[in-house]
Amino acid sequence: MLMYPYNLVAVGEQAMNLVFPEKIDVAENQTIQRIAKDLRTDPTFALLDAIPAYHTLTLYFDTQRISEAQFRSKLTVYLHNYTDAVAVTQERVLELPVCYTPEFGPDLKDVAAFAGLSIPQLIQMHTQNSYFIYMMGFLPGFAYMGFVPDQIAMPRLNRPRAEVPAGSVGIAGKQTGMYPVASPAGWRIIGRTPLKLYDPHAPLPKYQPGDRIQFKAINRQEYERIKTVDQAGKYHLNIKKTKEA
Amino acid sequence: MAQFEILAGGLATTVQDTGRRGYQAQGIPVSGATDLFAHQLANLLVNNPVTAATLEFMLLGPKIKFNCHTFIAVTGGASNPCLNGKNLSRGKAYAVHCGDILSFSPMAAGRFGYLALAAGGILTAPLLQSRSTTVKISLGGYHGRKLAQGDLIPHNECFQMPSLAFRQTNLTAISQNKTVNVRFMQGPQWQLFSTEAQAAFTTKLFNISPQADRMGYRLAGDNLPVPNKNMLSEGTVLGNIQITRAGEPIVLLTDRQTAGGYPVIGTIIAADLSMFTQLTSEQKIHFKQVTLATATQALENQRASLKKLAVEFKELRYQQPLGPARKAAPKITKLIIQNQ
Repeated sequence: MLMYPYNLVAVGEQAMNLVFPEKIDVAENQTIQRIAKDLRTDPTFALLDAIPAYHTLTLYFDTQRISEAQFRSKLTVYLHNYTDAVAVTQERVLELPVCYTPEFGPDLKDVAAFAGLSIPQLIQMHTQNSYFIYMMGFLPGFAYMGFVPDQIAMPRLNRPRAEVPAGSVGIAGKQTGMYPVASPAGWRIIGRTPLKLYDPHAPLPKYQPGDRIQFKAINRQEYERIKTVDQAGKYHLNIKKTKEA
Repeated sequence: MAQFEILAGGLATTVQDTGRRGYQAQGIPVSGATDLFAHQLANLLVNNPVTAATLEFMLLGPKIKFNCHTFIAVTGGASNPCLNGKNLSRGKAYAVHCGDILSFSPMAAGRFGYLALAAGGILTAPLLQSRSTTVKISLGGYHGRKLAQGDLIPHNECFQMPSLAFRQTNLTAISQNKTVNVRFMQGPQWQLFSTEAQAAFTTKLFNISPQADRMGYRLAGDNLPVPNKNMLSEGTVLGNIQITRAGEPIVLLTDRQTAGGYPVIGTIIAADLSMFTQLTSEQKIHFKQVTLATATQALENQRASLKKLAVEFKELRYQQPLGPARKAAPKITKLIIQNQ
């Protein structure tokens, strides 16, 4: 049984939004990720693409192989028969090294002051929990993750920076994330990962929606060492698997 | 493999096909030809599958030198193609030879043009099953970027084109009407908009502002009243008309971000996107609401017109050839009859 009420909303003649209750909730989002996976692996849906978001799943179907009405009715049957029984989701937790210094994090001091914390306390608070990836967008591998403790949830800059370097890690309210490529940015930048998060020759990110990211504080020497290893293609992300009911 | 040489890059010339699908969940844009219909048409004219990669150019096309024999076709905006200084028609297949130079003038109408080459099109290395270029993230195509002087673009040599003389079409016409109807379906956030906003959207006229590129066209006109409610980001769809906080419509196109947080008032139907993407900033747009059934039928009609053309080209293969061969044929027939 599906635990959530839903709507199917046409978006043009070749796509459809599956819309769940409008909230940001890990369990609801995990259901969306699960449905996306099921539909992608079933060729009879003639799916061209699926974009999971916080509370929606945007589905592109091939109208040369399936009509809108057929797609809608197949999806309705699937959702009716949906069962969580086998959905003992195994979550991946990927450990991402981050160097938190004023050199890499121009807003580190401001965020610490906002939170009323020392810089080591702020780093401790940003790395104490892992963050769930609800969705990606904006740039390849740009993860919409949550959530940081309220105390460090500093709103975005009033005026976005023209550019922050690739790998910058920031906070925007309750959200946190990293910029895979150099980009204009309104987020408060507190550090940088030495890992190359986007490579145009191998563009798929190492993490997926539904994964968790665990930031790990590293010092400047480790930053340089990991960067060298990663550039040689020899850095192995530390990935843990957890089981959640 | 043969290569043609770029003598001048034009304004924004890139390698494009029908797009990179299946990776939007990872934030990778679809990309592909902005005017998908014109792209497919160009391919059909030179006997390619519609998915073959073409060169897309914006407003001013490139200057190209061919280094081998092949066949080409140009579609899309009124780009005034010239081969060795002689005018070519758009929507027609031509033979080109080693040393021939293809050039263009700034477009008199339209925005995007397409150049297709026979025997499989442009053959840069595919990435994630596509040759499309997404310049913003240096992905795919020719080194992930716009073409520039000196670039050598791989393609196949080609010596034969079935029914070459018949390979032309008038489907390349570009609308030059002062006001055009653009059909849309209600968007996923249509209900979030007030009846005033809905009425303004369907009665006022808009035009394409200078902020228009492959990611999207920002429209100029009266700003619409915006919903008070903020929404959570969700997946984007080609042709979505999102309304910014300031009330300006932005139509999302092929290089769009894969997720967006502005409410979507409507989605331009697929069959009208070709015409819409080619509009100039002087032409006025009237948005006209249609049902899903109308949108689906219009798309099927458009697909049928391409299919019909492909079938015609195929059937014409078996008709009497034009040119010198035809002059020879009666003489040969006569000789055979005399000898009988």
